[in-house]
Order: sequence, then structure tokens, then C-alpha cells
Amino acid sequence: MTIELQRPVADPIVIDDLERLSFRVDRRAYTDPDLATRELTRIFDRCWLYVGHESEVPGLGCYVTRDVGGRPVVMARGSDGVIRVFANSCTHRGALICGQPAGQARSFRCPYHDWTFSNQGDLVGVPLPDGYGPGFRKADFGLAQHRSDSYRGFVFVTFDPEQSRTLTEYLAGATEYLDLIDDQSEVGMEVIQGAQLHGARANWKLMMENSVDIYHFRALHKRYVGYMESLGSVAPKRRGGFGCALGLGHGANELPPAAARPLAYWTPMFGPEVRGRIEATAARFVDRFGAERAGRITGTNRAVLIFPNLMIIDAIAITIRKIDPIDAGQMAITSVALAPKDEDPDIRELRKSHYLTFLGPAGFATPDDVEIVESCQRGYLNRTVRYSDLSRGMNKEIPETTDELPAREFWRQWDRLMHGTEPQ
Amino acid sequence: MVDEAAQLRLWHRVSQFLVREARLLDEWRLHEWYDEMLTDDIRYCVPATDVRGENADALGLIDDDAARLRQRIEQLLSGEVWCENPRSRTNRMISNVEILADRGTHLDVAANVIVHRFGHGRSDAYVGKCRFELARDGGSFRIRSRVVVLDHETLYEHGKLSIIL
Repeated sequence: MTIELQRPVADPIVIDDLERLSFRVDRRAYTDPDLATRELTRIFDRCWLYVGHESEVPGLGCYVTRDVGGRPVVMARGSDGVIRVFANSCTHRGALICGQPAGQARSFRCPYHDWTFSNQGDLVGVPLPDGYGPGFRKADFGLAQHRSDSYRGFVFVTFDPEQSRTLTEYLAGATEYLDLIDDQSEVGMEVIQGAQLHGARANWKLMMENSVDIYHFRALHKRYVGYMESLGSVAPKRRGGFGCALGLGHGANELPPAAARPLAYWTPMFGPEVRGRIEATAARFVDRFGAERAGRITGTNRAVLIFPNLMIIDAIAITIRKIDPIDAGQMAITSVALAPKDEDPDIRELRKSHYLTFLGPAGFATPDDVEIVESCQRGYLNRTVRYSDLSRGMNKEIPETTDELPAREFWRQWDRLMHGTEPQ
Repeated sequence: MVDEAAQLRLWHRVSQFLVREARLLDEWRLHEWYDEMLTDDIRYCVPATDVRGENADALGLIDDDAARLRQRIEQLLSGEVWCENPRSRTNRMISNVEILADRGTHLDVAANVIVHRFGHGRSDAYVGKCRFELARDGGSFRIRSRVVVLDHETLYEHGKLSIIL
């Protein structure tokens, strides 16, 4: 891809002033429909994008359909065991070849004219083939297969034929954090069935910022903090930990748990019945990984932003949150829970319960996040206030988790991609 | 011999009970609702919109026991739920009330519900199918299980579910 250098220096959107330690974003970035359209081609058509987790297609022929970067796709495990990502569009006239959200099939049959494709993407059936001349070859009409790859079970796709980075190169420092998550089970992690499909009437980037913003936690989520304290959990005012840049727009916060972690970090709020089991798991992790790494895997919370639109939050439960723009002022949010496949059933119930307490459209925290980003979007209607400020922590060598470093990293990459200074 | 008059009386009592429940919820009389209409072992669930309660191991949207439901109510009434302050206006339409089974000590009841919600410049409608387990309580009932299966494919438009359905 040729990158035209057209950074509008006179009228920048992102103002990154390292001298004055000031980082500002022009609120047009959240409201301008032209920018929203441009994001699709400059960002979503070029980056590696999260599709799903391998555990969502566990058996041969299992598939899921979803929208990725605004495009309908099918992620399918073929009868040969290979996971592929196809365009969910018939190569004949374009209808969705699969209308089910998930299932298991040897083949996909387009309902329009019964063209049939194997679960490996080959066109295997065309009714009334005598209507085509000798030049017609089924091999030319297989499903369009996107370039996909997975890292530790997380499947990504890129629509850019000129994407020069492998997935691992693209993930850069974020691989360390995916390792810390996938290492939580020897037999693998799995997505728990039941997706929370919600959204917000706000620009998608507001939810990305919100998801790595710990500064708001004690202010906006007072009711959640109060509930957790009523269960016996005490969240310190200063949590410690740090925020870090992981390269190419990715970033993370890592911090001590405020409450407990169902994997292997017991506190009294989990109750005495599971204490022995959870502490035994913790001991096994020390045997497997040594005390230091085991402590990081089991006894540390983390929120990882993988540019552009994936958040993985590993705290009292693990959530995978995929955030998609619908238009400048509307986003779709898909949240699922990730857990060890071999989790003890009682601990799985604890995990799910605590997940629901915080997360999702009816939790004790997420609805307030949805409302607040919608409130920001409404606030932007008053164009007199032109900039949002994301400067916290620019005065520190190692920013705290209540600083805004991961959000700045997101915006810096956004700016590079939107304005053509990012080399492919 | 089916006693149709008795069935009709029972259906009427159940219907009136559910209409009263809808009114208390619409009027934000949540303490009364909790104290007078629910059992101590109440379970209130809203399954995920994709698996719709077909898989008991699945994660849902709400799975409250009495303690968490009580907490939900306290939060809603205290004004600390930022997205319900000011309180949204709601209007619940409950219909298609059907007694699926009379098990003596309790009834299995189905109903359809539409909850219209207005607030913060938005109007949303939540459409779902309710399944109640109503424990007989003297001449009236208490709800032991309250499952609302939403018919929406997603809540993209709604964003959140900050009220009690």
C-alpha cells in the first residue's frame, strides 16, 4: 500500500506535546462522519483484527459468523482441522452463505441458488452446471479466504494483502500479556457460552479509552466498589502497578488485584469452601512457572488493549471485549468470558457470578461505562470545548495505572495510520 | 371434570398479581416488590441474547440471588446508579399470561412482557418472555423464580439493561 503523506499539520487531531507534557485529542475524532469512514479504510482494512477464540470452534466443521472490521465473516474449523476465516458472501451473487450465528456443518449452502461450499471453502456444488461454458471452473469460485493466524488461541484476520507483519510481529509486546492469559491452563482456555452483545450510542474509541482507564474506577464505579466492600473486599485508594506501552498502539495496565481472582488468588470473599482448591492451584503454578512468574499469572490483574479494537481484561474474571464502530456515534460491543477449560465447577460458578456482578449490560459497573461514554458523546455537541485531555502520567518515567499512557499509545497509532506516517 | 370457573379464578389471581408487580416496578416501589412479592430464595435471571437460556452453563446478563438483587435495588434507589439518576420512566405491558402447570405448592407461569424505558434522552423497549415460578402464599403468591428471556438478537441499540425487567 502506498502511503500518501498528508498529515494536516495546520489542523491536527492529536496534539502530542512532549515539551509541555500535554496530550490533547480534537473531539472531531469522535464525531466527524468522514473520519469514521476513513477509519474503516485506514485502520480496519489494514490492521490485524481479532475474530474469535479457537475454543469457539472446538470440533471439525464448527463455525461462527460475525462482523469483523465491518465485514461479515465465517470462522470455521474445516474437516481437516484447520481454522480458516472466509468472507461470508457467496462468490456467485453475494448473499451470506451462512446465516446462523454458530453451528457445525460439512458445507455451507447459499440459500439464493444453492451454490454449496465445503467447510474448507471449496465450491463443491452448482445446480444446473450446463448453464456455464467450458471456461467455468469451480476452483475459481471458492469462498474468499482471508489471511488469518492465531496466537495462543486468539484468532486474528487481516484484510490487507500488503500487511507486511506477521500476526506475532503485529502483536509486538502484547504477546507477553496473551501468554500470561493463555498460561492460566495447561489444557487450554475456553470462551464460556453466552455472549453479551450490547453497545453504546457513542464513538467506539471512547470505549477503548474507558477500558484502559483506571482513573475513573473509584469515581464512576462507586456502587461496584461499595458492593465489593460489603462482601469483605477492600480496594486500596492507590492500587500500585503500572501502565505500559506494548508497541504499535497496544498498551496495558498491570496491577495488584483489588478483590480476588478465581484462578488462584483466594480472599475471604470467595468463601472458605473453595479456599483449599484455589490455594492448591496457586501452588501448582509455582511448581510449573517458579514463584515470580506464577505470582504474575495468578496474583496480578491486567487490562490489555490490542490495537485497534480488542480489550482483554483479566481481573476477577477474564473478559474479551471486541468493540466495533457502527458509525461515528454508535458502537457495538461483544463481550465474552474466558476461563480455563479444566476449571473446577464450583470455581467456574464463582467466576461467572463475579463476572456478572461487574461486567455486561446489566452488571454493577458496565452500564455506567456505557452511560458515561454516551454522555461524553452528547457533551461533544457543544463544539465550543474543542479538545479532550489525556495527559496524565506524561510527567512520569513509569506511569501509574491511574494515568493515561495506554490511551495515548492508542491515539498515537491511530494518528500514524490515519495520517500516513505509519510505515507498512 | 375440569372446573373452568376455578381455573378462571386462579388465572385471574395470577394475572392481577403480575399486573401489580408491573405497577410496583414502574413506580419504583422496589422495596415493596422485594419484601412482599418475592420469596427469600428468589432467583432473577436474564439469559444472554444468543443462547437464550438453552444452555444452563452459559453466561447470562443477570443471574441474581436474593442478596445481589437486594443490592441492585439499594443501588437503584440510592441514586448511585449514574445511568438511572434521574430515574428512567418505565411502562411495563404484561400479557399472554398462561398457567403452564399447577404443582400444588407452586405454579409455573408464562407471560410476555414489553418494558418501555424513557430516560436520558432515549427511549428503548425491552421485549421478552417471562417464566415465573409462583409459590402459593396464603391467598396470594410469591415469586421464587423469575426468568426473562429477551427476544432481541442483541442489545446494540439499548446499550445497557439498568432497570429491573
